[in-house]
Amino acid sequence: MAYQVSIFLENKIGHLERVTAVLKAAKIDIRTMNLNHTANGWGILNLVVSNPELAHSLLLEKGLSAALREIVVIEMIDQPGGLDDLLKEIVNAGVNFTNAYGRSGYENKNAYFVIDPEDVTQAKKKLLDAGLNIMSDQSIYGTN
Amino acid sequence: MYWENELETLKRNDLEKLQVKRLKNTIQSAMNSPYYGNLYKQMGLSSDSVKSVSDIQKLPFTTKQNLRENFPYGFLGLPTKELIRLHSTSGTTGNPTVIFHNRHDIDSWANLMARSLYCAGVRDTDVFQNICGYGLFTGGLGFQYGVERLGCLSIPAGAGNSSRQIKLMQDYGTTAIHAIPSYLNRLYEVFLEEGLDPRKDTKLHTFVIGAEPHTEEQRQRIEEMYGVKAYNSFGLTEMNGPGVAFECTYQNGLHIWEDAYLVEIINPETLEPIVDGEIGELVLTTLDRQAMPLIRYRTRDLTRILPGTCACGRTHIRLDRITGRSDDMFIVKGCNIFPMQIEGVLMKIPEVGADYLITLKTIDGNDEMIIEVEVKKDWFNGDISRLDKLTKQLTALIRDEVLVKPIIKLVEPNSLPKPEGKAVRVKELRVALNS
Repeated sequence: MAYQVSIFLENKIGHLERVTAVLKAAKIDIRTMNLNHTANGWGILNLVVSNPELAHSLLLEKGLSAALREIVVIEMIDQPGGLDDLLKEIVNAGVNFTNAYGRSGYENKNAYFVIDPEDVTQAKKKLLDAGLNIMSDQSIYGTN
Repeated sequence: MYWENELETLKRNDLEKLQVKRLKNTIQSAMNSPYYGNLYKQMGLSSDSVKSVSDIQKLPFTTKQNLRENFPYGFLGLPTKELIRLHSTSGTTGNPTVIFHNRHDIDSWANLMARSLYCAGVRDTDVFQNICGYGLFTGGLGFQYGVERLGCLSIPAGAGNSSRQIKLMQDYGTTAIHAIPSYLNRLYEVFLEEGLDPRKDTKLHTFVIGAEPHTEEQRQRIEEMYGVKAYNSFGLTEMNGPGVAFECTYQNGLHIWEDAYLVEIINPETLEPIVDGEIGELVLTTLDRQAMPLIRYRTRDLTRILPGTCACGRTHIRLDRITGRSDDMFIVKGCNIFPMQIEGVLMKIPEVGADYLITLKTIDGNDEMIIEVEVKKDWFNGDISRLDKLTKQLTALIRDEVLVKPIIKLVEPNSLPKPEGKAVRVKELRVALNS
């Protein structure tokens, strides 16, 4: 099961850097990330990292509101139209999600799309049935 | 099971006789001070003016303003040679309020403190850690003398330095603590940061909390966090400090020591006495203080006298927990609001942390009430809609309580300012508009 680390952050100078400082000190590598902002003065930072469990516990120790949240990571081809092709498949599979972000690869490879669906198990099943390639934890956390 | 069997269980009749006798003495001592001496002579008042407790209504009120205008010695009825200590407020909003004590006053106060602690179940076998500023603030020495009089092993820890406080608790097996409630919330976070659970890793069983208005919900949270009983303590510098009124182990209101304080509840606008059971301003008269007696002092604290008797058998009346100070009240969009009303709502929501800050601000010409609320870090799960739902829920609940729609801002845990002393709950940033 793949996880993102989600962190509740106020929109204030230096708050994002508090998170990255923790990751740097523990030599945790960021694979991809996304930062949401709401009109209420706070946002949520989502991180896919080399060691989510460690990142999560270190951030909690620092007093930050961090949570591990299960995600579905789908392989994507890094070429013009790659995301559109993938989304068509996801639409056909009937999977909705509240948040999504991606990672572009290199040499047309290693790109992926991260989704945060309401029901992870259901979504995975539908996507697998549609023939999509859900990436293994190892390939998400462990590659560059 | 009382510190002073006879005094604490006096029949109403006998208690009132004692009060009248002590009130007469108090008037005599007070008239040695320039302020009361001049005033009472002008008004033709003397100790002969009171023959019953209700005759106190013939005497004028004393206000904080009177104390300030006669700073520092106007209320003092004894020469400095007789005095042994003074306590004072910080005086951030004007002249400080200073109270002088002679040896009798300090002795009487220590006894009231010991009686109060005994009433909350503290015994000489307890190890008592006083987490409170020593010095001019009355919570330090006030408790120190009481704890020593009672015979506990006292740890005069002082305020702040949470890691050291925890170390003291562990090294000496602290069983009882006095602290302000907002500090205990903060201290709990430090316990967690250090990987400790106060329920398992300490011998604590009793907290005495006061010096800061707090709600029943706040008390229950503290009791749950630490697995201890928390008793409410009430006092004010003008009336010595702590030891004026205290909860007994039944936790149903604060027994106010009527042999030392004469209690009235008045309507703060009409100044008329209020029927028992209704909320009004607490007015107190010292009955056992020699150096600087105060008569009919308007405390500005709002409370009510609780009806009925207490199962503990003490006959001294019980006050409800202080619902706020008349000068804590703020007005937004024409509605009178007390910070305690907002705390009451927040503390019922388990997702909300212990600290909050109300900021009053003019936005586009309108008065707005912004409430910053800390989100508990273990509740957060990364779901944005859950945070939105919490914001909406808090907005609706607070609007229902105070009739003004607040702007709720969720903030990170432990991000609100943590002053060493009393928590600051309200920040006024409104622009005064010229009408």
